[in-house]
Amino acid sequence: MSRKENTIRKSYRRRKILSRFMPLLALLLLFLSFLLAVEKKGYRTDLYLKIIFNETAVLAVVATGAIFIFTLGSFDISLGAATLFSATLGILTYMESQSVFLMIFVIFISGILCSLTSSLLASFFRIPAFVTTVAMMSVLTAVSTQIITSRGGALGGISIPSGLLKPLDTPYFKLLLMALYIGIAVFIFNFTKIGRRQKFIGANPLCAKLTGIRASRYTIIAFAMAGLGVGLGAFLTLIYTPSVTSGTAGSIGMNIIVAIVFGGMPISGGADSKIYAALIGGFSYTLLNNTLKILIEGNAGYGISQMVSALFFLLLVFITSMNYRSEQLPR
Amino acid sequence: MKKNLRNILSIALSCTLLIGALASCGGNGEPSAEKNQNVSGKNKENPATAEGGGEDRAFEAFKTGVLVADVSGEEALAFRDYYENYIAEQYPIEFLYSEQLEDAASERSAIEKFAAQGCKAIISFSGSDRARQIESCEENKLYYAVASGMLDDKQYEEHKDSPYFVAQIGPSMETEYNAGREMGKYFLEQGAEKIALYGAFIPNPMHVYRAAGVLSGLGLSYGGSDDKDAVAGQIFQDQGIKLEKVSGDQAELAAYFQGYGDTTTDELNAAIQAEPDAFISVGMATTFFTQQLNTSAVPFSDIDSFTSGNRKAMEEGELTYLAGKYSSSVGPVIAAVINAVNGHPLRNEDGSALSVSQDYQVASDLESFDRYFKADRGSSPIYDKNLLDQMIGQDTDLETFTKLVHNPA
Repeated sequence: MSRKENTIRKSYRRRKILSRFMPLLALLLLFLSFLLAVEKKGYRTDLYLKIIFNETAVLAVVATGAIFIFTLGSFDISLGAATLFSATLGILTYMESQSVFLMIFVIFISGILCSLTSSLLASFFRIPAFVTTVAMMSVLTAVSTQIITSRGGALGGISIPSGLLKPLDTPYFKLLLMALYIGIAVFIFNFTKIGRRQKFIGANPLCAKLTGIRASRYTIIAFAMAGLGVGLGAFLTLIYTPSVTSGTAGSIGMNIIVAIVFGGMPISGGADSKIYAALIGGFSYTLLNNTLKILIEGNAGYGISQMVSALFFLLLVFITSMNYRSEQLPR
Repeated sequence: MKKNLRNILSIALSCTLLIGALASCGGNGEPSAEKNQNVSGKNKENPATAEGGGEDRAFEAFKTGVLVADVSGEEALAFRDYYENYIAEQYPIEFLYSEQLEDAASERSAIEKFAAQGCKAIISFSGSDRARQIESCEENKLYYAVASGMLDDKQYEEHKDSPYFVAQIGPSMETEYNAGREMGKYFLEQGAEKIALYGAFIPNPMHVYRAAGVLSGLGLSYGGSDDKDAVAGQIFQDQGIKLEKVSGDQAELAAYFQGYGDTTTDELNAAIQAEPDAFISVGMATTFFTQQLNTSAVPFSDIDSFTSGNRKAMEEGELTYLAGKYSSSVGPVIAAVINAVNGHPLRNEDGSALSVSQDYQVASDLESFDRYFKADRGSSPIYDKNLLDQMIGQDTDLETFTKLVHNPA
């Protein structure tokens, strides 16, 4: 091996290590900054940690499902609307049947169906999946709003009895659900051919096709996993607040994209996709927003935190896109 | 490649330093709010006491969290100005505002943040799920009051006995309906026959009831019904008003539109081209359409607040009727909160949380407009310290409090 090749190999390894550990390092720094800010202000750390966990839980599970779609080089902007729709149908089911089990079943099934519909439409019409997700977002939001306003009337929302899921509103139960789902996702993504082939399709669809991999099959699996995440996200939403309004989960769609990029996921998917990016990025994003809002009081806090998040987003996209500019195939 | 690495590391380091610097500068070094009950509002020179009503009364300094769904509207800003620049000067209270809240989850999260920041009470201007707001306040042992609105009757019955639920003071849905009805009646009495109606953000419940009231005031039925709840129910179902379902002899609904988006200007122009005798809005028209309506020479009305912008529209433009709130109308709710935090909450005779419906004030000319606008300015609001002191303290009774809510003058 020539000296030049050796140098290239070393620099590539350094870059890989940096891109692998940078999100984790950033999360650690953000966590320390957050603790420092809370301590400086004399606020209650225990309550704030609980808030961070609750704010991240739904985002992290829905975004973990979305990683499967992003890995394919596609994206789904309808996940927030699908979460609202699943939660709405779940509440509607409970209102009609008074059955908690049926409600949970409907929440998960509707989440998966919403997501699968996008991919099936894309396959049927032979158009990019993200195009159908844009249409799905409008349809799901409109249908949910119609149900909520017609059934909610003057309340402006629909709800289940607040005590119904209250016993489940504990960090341990939510952690258990998250661990279960993320564990399954990690297993499929890292230890089965499904994950490997999805990365292959995302990195080079033509090559994958010539190797005999059917992209449509793996697209459907990706959307099904995302749908499962949507169902779990909707369920966690109802555990936290047992009511939905037309604004419920409204910001999730965009936050998912920001969170997974914060977690070190390349925006174009492919071989460097990381399933844990959603978890790391979700917490990083929530910590960054909350730290800035604590530090910058008043109306300006919100605006500045959005601007800083945008800057971080651009910076991370810049870093993760370096592989493509280096003209080297990812290894 | 080394250059790239250097760039990345320097950017990362800069970001870290930026956050570190913000973290260092942001803190004011104050000890925990839990440990320190000193004043954190503007009334720092007299932190622990406030005098009024001819007697010395000691008030505990405390922080109050304010939940808001609107952070930029003229009315919302006027309320905020009154709290932060008048109330915080007169009483040892610091107001912490939430960001714009869009759903029940963000409301709960905001309440928990206020609890973590050492607040003792929450005042809510946000209505995604008020029942859940009360439950979150109970969990975090925070007093809770609704300003400028009310809970649904069923929700109120469910939560009225909670010791943390202090009061709800604001227009009820009945009041919203009546405000719309009076507005409709006004134009009917003025001889208007052809009406254009703006439904604002239907299916927002407040706007639905106002719109149902307008139809009633104009003598119109909707879907064959005149009943308040039936009409409101149909509007909820339809997500708006369908012109073909409107019928009546006294007036004609010539145009209807709602919302604000890409097609709104076209819809407004179409409504104006229908040559209505009046343009009735159930909210937000003075924010969105004042200029166009003034140039159209169509008399218009709105349910909004007594602001300088609306005064100008009434003086120089075509605004002929305004049902509104004035900025200090949110004063009584803070009086109720002060009482609760200081250990002598004012409650109904049966021990339930205070529930007082606050009517809109109506102006149909500049003189009546100024009665609320000029009398409710900056350092001399209608609910000034003298008036509020009559509502604060253990000697205050329910009758006096309610009377002053209904008639501050």
